Amino acid sequence: MTARRMLGRVVLYALAVALLIYILGPFLWLLSASFQTDIALFQQPPEWFPDPFLTDNYRYVFTGKVPGEQGIGAVAAFTQEAQRIPRSLANSLIVALAVLAVNLLLATVAAYTFARERFRGREVAFFFILGSRLLPPVAVAIPIYQILRQTALLDTKLGVILVHSSFTLPFSIWVLTLYFRGMPREIEEASLVDGASRLRALFSIAIPLAAPGLAAIAAFSFLFSYNEFLFALLLTQSPGSKTIPVAIAAIAQNPDASYSLIAVGVILAIIAPLILASVFRGYIARGLVTSLER
Amino acid sequence: MRNHDRLSAIGYRLSARRSTAYSWLLILPPLALTAFFSIYPFIVAVDASTHRILLTRPKKQPYIGLDNFREVLRVAEFRDAAVNTAVFAAMTVPAVTLLGLGVALLLNQRLPGFGLLRWIVLLPWAIPLVGAGTMWRLLLHGNTGALNGLLLELGIIDEYITWLSRPTLAMVAVTMAHLWREFPLAAILFLAGRQAIASELYDVARIDGAGAFALFRDITLPLLRPTLLIVLVYETVVSMSVFDLLYVLTGGGPGSATTVLAWYTYATTFKFYNLGQGAALSLLMAAAILVVIVLYTYILPAKEERR
Amino acid sequence: MARQDVTRFVGSGLGGALTRRDVLRGGAALGLGATAFRGRRAAAQDPIQLDFMSWSYSVETIQDNIAKFQALNPGITVNYTDFPWFDYPDVMAARFLGDNAPDVAYNSDHWLTQWADADWVVPLDDNCPNLMAYAADFAPYAIQGMTYDGKLYGLPYYADLVVFFHNAAMAEQAGFSTAPQTWDEVRDQAQAMKEKGIVEYPVNIPLAKADPWTIEFFYSMVYSEGGHFFDESNEPVFNQAGGPAEKVLQWLHDAINTWKIMNPAALEVVEPDVVKSLVAGQSASTVLAKYNLAAVNTTDGAHKGKFKLALMPGSTHETTGFVRFYTLTRHAVDRGAEALDAACKFLDYNGGKTDGVYVVQKRWAIEKGLGFAVLPLYDDPEVAASIASWGDVALEREQATKARIKEGLTAWWGTWDVFAREQIHNAVSGSTAPAEALKAMADKWTELRGYYGG
Repeated sequence: MTARRMLGRVVLYALAVALLIYILGPFLWLLSASFQTDIALFQQPPEWFPDPFLTDNYRYVFTGKVPGEQGIGAVAAFTQEAQRIPRSLANSLIVALAVLAVNLLLATVAAYTFARERFRGREVAFFFILGSRLLPPVAVAIPIYQILRQTALLDTKLGVILVHSSFTLPFSIWVLTLYFRGMPREIEEASLVDGASRLRALFSIAIPLAAPGLAAIAAFSFLFSYNEFLFALLLTQSPGSKTIPVAIAAIAQNPDASYSLIAVGVILAIIAPLILASVFRGYIARGLVTSLER
Repeated sequence: MRNHDRLSAIGYRLSARRSTAYSWLLILPPLALTAFFSIYPFIVAVDASTHRILLTRPKKQPYIGLDNFREVLRVAEFRDAAVNTAVFAAMTVPAVTLLGLGVALLLNQRLPGFGLLRWIVLLPWAIPLVGAGTMWRLLLHGNTGALNGLLLELGIIDEYITWLSRPTLAMVAVTMAHLWREFPLAAILFLAGRQAIASELYDVARIDGAGAFALFRDITLPLLRPTLLIVLVYETVVSMSVFDLLYVLTGGGPGSATTVLAWYTYATTFKFYNLGQGAALSLLMAAAILVVIVLYTYILPAKEERR
Repeated sequence: MARQDVTRFVGSGLGGALTRRDVLRGGAALGLGATAFRGRRAAAQDPIQLDFMSWSYSVETIQDNIAKFQALNPGITVNYTDFPWFDYPDVMAARFLGDNAPDVAYNSDHWLTQWADADWVVPLDDNCPNLMAYAADFAPYAIQGMTYDGKLYGLPYYADLVVFFHNAAMAEQAGFSTAPQTWDEVRDQAQAMKEKGIVEYPVNIPLAKADPWTIEFFYSMVYSEGGHFFDESNEPVFNQAGGPAEKVLQWLHDAINTWKIMNPAALEVVEPDVVKSLVAGQSASTVLAKYNLAAVNTTDGAHKGKFKLALMPGSTHETTGFVRFYTLTRHAVDRGAEALDAACKFLDYNGGKTDGVYVVQKRWAIEKGLGFAVLPLYDDPEVAASIASWGDVALEREQATKARIKEGLTAWWGTWDVFAREQIHNAVSGSTAPAEALKAMADKWTELRGYYGG
């Protein structure tokens, strides 16, 4: 290897390290802060490694046991809100999984229909569904709030599931339609001639072949729903339906919550999407690519 | 094969009518959801925008025609919000695009350990925006921010920078948080686009003696144009709609320094309780985004059409 | 009835879907009340459920008070939820609008007029008349803050003053043995402290945009110069050229940007941050609610006990008095006599007397140093001793005689407040000149007034 090539390698690795620091730095600091006392966070500059290392904040979130004096403790820095974090996590997971299921079911069937069937009004229906995504969320936020109020779905997980589904389905349908269209028809045609119905062809043949695409939209719709904030903010208020982004935003805004407690909240909130994104990263990337190429 | 084709064709025609109804049935659920949660609300928003609706005085909702629009467009705050939105977009879109492109080219290297990098790069994009925003708020706080602490320790600054208390810096702060969170998507898109370019093109050019920069300028860049268009459009729309970050990072402040259109619309309805004006603003925003998308599609025509 | 009309929102123009109004009417006919339709527990043979909401200050104390109340009233269970102080008005508005309001909630004079005007909260005169007798004990600014349209809308949680206090030891070190009497003297003392290296940014006043306190601090500083915000007909007078409001904004701007004697992060910090900063010796003087003096003087640290109350600097030494109180909601009334009675009892326990003593208010005073609305508590030796341990009873009472509530409390003041804070920021950060900011505030007032027909 030439010296020049070595230099090039060194530069690339240096850049890679810089990138790593840029991406992971905030996460690591958050982790560190969640184990620190409030007063420790108050110094300029702060301690990078928690000293003392306390799991008090985590314990408070899960058990409600208020930590003892942490130094400057005159102002009670704990809010019940932090204890609602586990429940909000559960709400978010339920809602996101439901949205994922809705997408897998409805989007697959609809996409297959768009891809394989010829019927009157197909193009119109397709663009109708896609076009709905052009509206910015803020434009429809208030009317949707009204609709859910009038149908008594306000402040329920079901209401949020429906709204999130309506936002994720267009993209899922689009990606899957392109996916199905790109698949050769021969195998399905063969089974059709053998007497199978369209739906049967879909389930036994098309879906296994399109599994990567399905994995991609499953991941996308889960992430979208889990991370969604504006509608969750407007549509959920009580502990039984509040999703985790709403809970995090509330506690981050709460002057009565210590910064270390806030850090704990964020850490707990991001575990699920981090895991999902890591497991599905290949599919996510490929899903994006599919929608690009076609 | 042709027999199969003909059989399929016959099959199609025979069951055409039943097929149409059946097809519509299969696409009905998503269609209904879309209609219910996109089209109907849009109509409702249009209706609301022509009435005076105050959330604390719900009994009276007089029709006022286009007054909401006139009032909204006339005030200085709207102009400021529009300018802030434009400034923010002008700062973030190039930043995200350039960083995304740079990172993509870096990730494209087949070096040991870079697979790990390709995984990690996705992480900021996967977390909720309010989580990212809160992380950055902890980093940028004027008295206790960790980034301030780091810069202080490295000797780059003498005292903590009050990012969120100074109007210009607050905009920079939001840009920084937004960039950190958005660049992974751009990077992935560019990486995919780059990897779709046949390596033979590069090999041939290298044999002809082209250096790295020439390769980039003559092969990579032109063939990435379609990807570039997608990234630009998407990131522009995203930056015009930024809301979650603002909620936890600046609340539109200090003052109105980071009040962009999305925040202004939200505040008009939910802090100033003026639903009629909020609806009017939403429609104006929708129109603006549409205009932007159309402009992009005509100014940067993609060389490769959709197959 | 406002709540049923509230369902008649947008969509009415389109002939509306099945509205909850129809459903509510049916329910009301059956005597069920709207709560039944949310699957929420209705008042039956089980203990009566009360929903109580507050902001998140000292949650453990509130929970303990609730436990004690429940012990005294076994037939009532209180479901308690707390929300961030910053979001409080927005969250409560959303709940009132969304038909899942609580029965009793914290309220502040910031929002009483708005909520009462929207019929979200109801007066005690009509609903818990037995509680009206307490009003005789209330401080004047407390009564004013809880009254709308001549009726009393709640019992106090606490009433306090916005005060000026400083680290007297640091002032001594800088060569000053008396508290500053004017804002110029505040500047001089701060500059001296800075030059002598005692503290980098002596003045620390929290002015966060989302913080309902911010407007109160601004009012206090303007009042301290004898300024006014609105006249008797609620016309803005704060925007007179060269008036106190303009001077205050200019002073704040200069303190941060020119003289550099004030925490540059003032626009993003909140009250707890300032308290921590004072305790840690990183700040020396502030404008805050009086109970914070208790906090800084009773927390262990190098500066414990060194903070002294002073009259608000300025030509007239006036300041803002405010009240935060328990309010009864329309929802509680709609639930029926039993729920209403339970709610009245809850109000009585928290804001009134038990066995002849204002138990809860006394507790807040002794444990947290919160000011109290009921003047007789000054006669209680325990309370007096407690205050003396961190504050100055005589000075406090003197300041109280110079305290006024916020002027202009109308149905649209709460909304105007949100806008005003933005403008305060713009002026203090230098984005706009103070005169411009005040003009914008006045224009907004006029605009909002037009909408509300005030």
